[in-house]
Amino acid sequence: MDKFIVNIIHRPEMVPEYAEKVTGHGKAEDIGRKALLTESLDIFKTQQRLAHENGLKTTIQMTYASLFNEEAVALAKADHEKYGDEIALSLLGLPCKEFREKYKTKDFCIWMFSMEDKKSIVDDIFAKFHDIFGFYPESTGSYYLDADLINYIKETYPSVKCAVATCWEEGPKAYHTCNNSWYTLFDGGPWAPWIPSKQNTHAPAANEAEDSGIVAIPHLSRDLIACYDGNGSNFGTHPQNVLRGMIYDSQTWEYPYMYNLIDQYRSLEKYNNGYAYNMMFVGPAWMNKMGRWEAPYELLEKSYSDGCAYYGKLKKEGKLVDMTMAEFADHYRKKKSYTEPECALWRDILYGSDKQLFWYCDPYMRACVNMDQGGAIVDLRPYAAKLEWPVGIGTKHVQDASYPFLIQEKYRAGYFTHYAGEGTVRSAKLSYQGEEVDLCLCRTKAHFSQEGNTRILTLDPVEIEFYDLTMKLQTRIYFEEGSSEIKIERAILEMSNPEAQVELNEYMVACYGTTEYPEDMTGIILKCEGPQEKSISYEYKCREEQLAGAEAVSAVIGAIETKVSMRPSDPEAVGYVKEGYAFSPMFTLGYTKTVSDKEVFATWLKLEKAN
Amino acid sequence: MAQAGKGKLNYRCPSCFMRDLDIDMFYDKDKDEYYCIRCQYTGNEKDVLEKNEMVRFRYRAMAERITKFDFD
Repeated sequence: MDKFIVNIIHRPEMVPEYAEKVTGHGKAEDIGRKALLTESLDIFKTQQRLAHENGLKTTIQMTYASLFNEEAVALAKADHEKYGDEIALSLLGLPCKEFREKYKTKDFCIWMFSMEDKKSIVDDIFAKFHDIFGFYPESTGSYYLDADLINYIKETYPSVKCAVATCWEEGPKAYHTCNNSWYTLFDGGPWAPWIPSKQNTHAPAANEAEDSGIVAIPHLSRDLIACYDGNGSNFGTHPQNVLRGMIYDSQTWEYPYMYNLIDQYRSLEKYNNGYAYNMMFVGPAWMNKMGRWEAPYELLEKSYSDGCAYYGKLKKEGKLVDMTMAEFADHYRKKKSYTEPECALWRDILYGSDKQLFWYCDPYMRACVNMDQGGAIVDLRPYAAKLEWPVGIGTKHVQDASYPFLIQEKYRAGYFTHYAGEGTVRSAKLSYQGEEVDLCLCRTKAHFSQEGNTRILTLDPVEIEFYDLTMKLQTRIYFEEGSSEIKIERAILEMSNPEAQVELNEYMVACYGTTEYPEDMTGIILKCEGPQEKSISYEYKCREEQLAGAEAVSAVIGAIETKVSMRPSDPEAVGYVKEGYAFSPMFTLGYTKTVSDKEVFATWLKLEKAN
Repeated sequence: MAQAGKGKLNYRCPSCFMRDLDIDMFYDKDKDEYYCIRCQYTGNEKDVLEKNEMVRFRYRAMAERITKFDFD
């Protein structure tokens, strides 16, 4: 893939999610208000015009409500004829009088309905779409589509080949930002297009048997540092998100950040065999005539116009290819293999910190390496488990569609905790004569390279100072395609005393969950594996076991059908496992080894499905 | 005193914004002030706009056009 591709998606949403609540304040609810319908359609027309004026084609995602509106249908047909826009079908925008009368509910998020209702709604909408246009759509989507729903759609409407299927890190943080009233809980997915597995939307398919049959695209292309830390809805390729975040000059109405964000996505081609991707998807409510997020309509309109103009400029310069969703799905299928990972070495472009993260995603894991913490892994999702996780009414997870983590530094602490206990992180400590230094406190930068099917992250060496010893250490992290492993290698480059011996402790503190709150750890099995195997069944008793020459140290977390293990390069290394306690509901896996000057020690972190 | 309403541009509470909370404020026309129903912030439009400038303190690179994204 040697292209920067953009999908621009518009939806004629006749009753925008925000408009009725926000701009209708002080009026009794009436989702059939003529003024609301007229305004929504006007905004859709404006968005279409701005894209076309800049030479960009769009994907028009018809909403259920818009299928009842003759003007919206006529507009879609006309723009398909004239500009080659794809006419697709969104599962967003369900609310309208017809929907409420038929389904007797105000629910509007397709993944939250019961499976019976999901099927009924999909059949209803697809049939209506077919009645109007004479064909079934090739693209669909919502903020999130659960695996059962995708499987049903693909089985029943095989023409569907592309779908908007998640919004990156829209989970508890977005919920909190909305005063705990916006229930889009689906952290833990890919940030760039992928082929969802049949078992779990977030987890990419590893092979044809797991292939759900569609190419998924994320809802927006989001800032991989800012969205991980803060409110996702402020930092994406959604011009009004940038206004919502107040990331613009209030006097000049300029927002270089928006262009920096697009350009950083363009730069990701360096890590992905020449391919990079962007998606822009703005619902009509965000361009409300009454203004939004302190911004008057003129600024809302300007930001969308500028967004289109920038993509249009890149296209004119030959630096961008605009595609419809269906075109993109075909392109993606031709160019990307199941096991080829998505990589993003991402720098801070907003806060002036120079902080750098590396995100890695393949069918076995999603991992985040934090160079500001010496290359520690600060987020880890074990996709290898391909966890079946039904969501919606009638399941155990009515709203929570997040893929569980083993490590999540924001929700379950990372290196820093308050006086007691431990937080989730995969790092290393060095000890010498009673002093201890954690690599989490060694800020550095990384460089990407690829050797065959292995992606390598080489970190700049860091210096560690003890009272009477200084040493230089370099970390390399290897992601071998299809291996379900991360190899972490530490090389001792220099020691002020070449005779010194230092203890290296490679460790991983982990738990599991989808939110900030602890889950029940009871029954997690911790093992030092080998001929003299040692084992702990988790009971919050703060126990520890160790085994010199352990072949592996592991944890089996039954609740998420996951086994995580570490193995060392040196068979003499001492493996250990630690149970946590109620105030520190974590477990630790690790290896200790004495290292000296010029020595290299590696460990492999492996993720597997635990049956 | 009559009930409060939304202000003209749905001003959010700047104090809550700084803790990553988007909460639209309500407007008390008798006092000519916006107030937050979650926290204790109150202020007129001028004060809201001033505080909105202040919340941008964390965006140190907001005005920069960045062209290099790696450290190679």
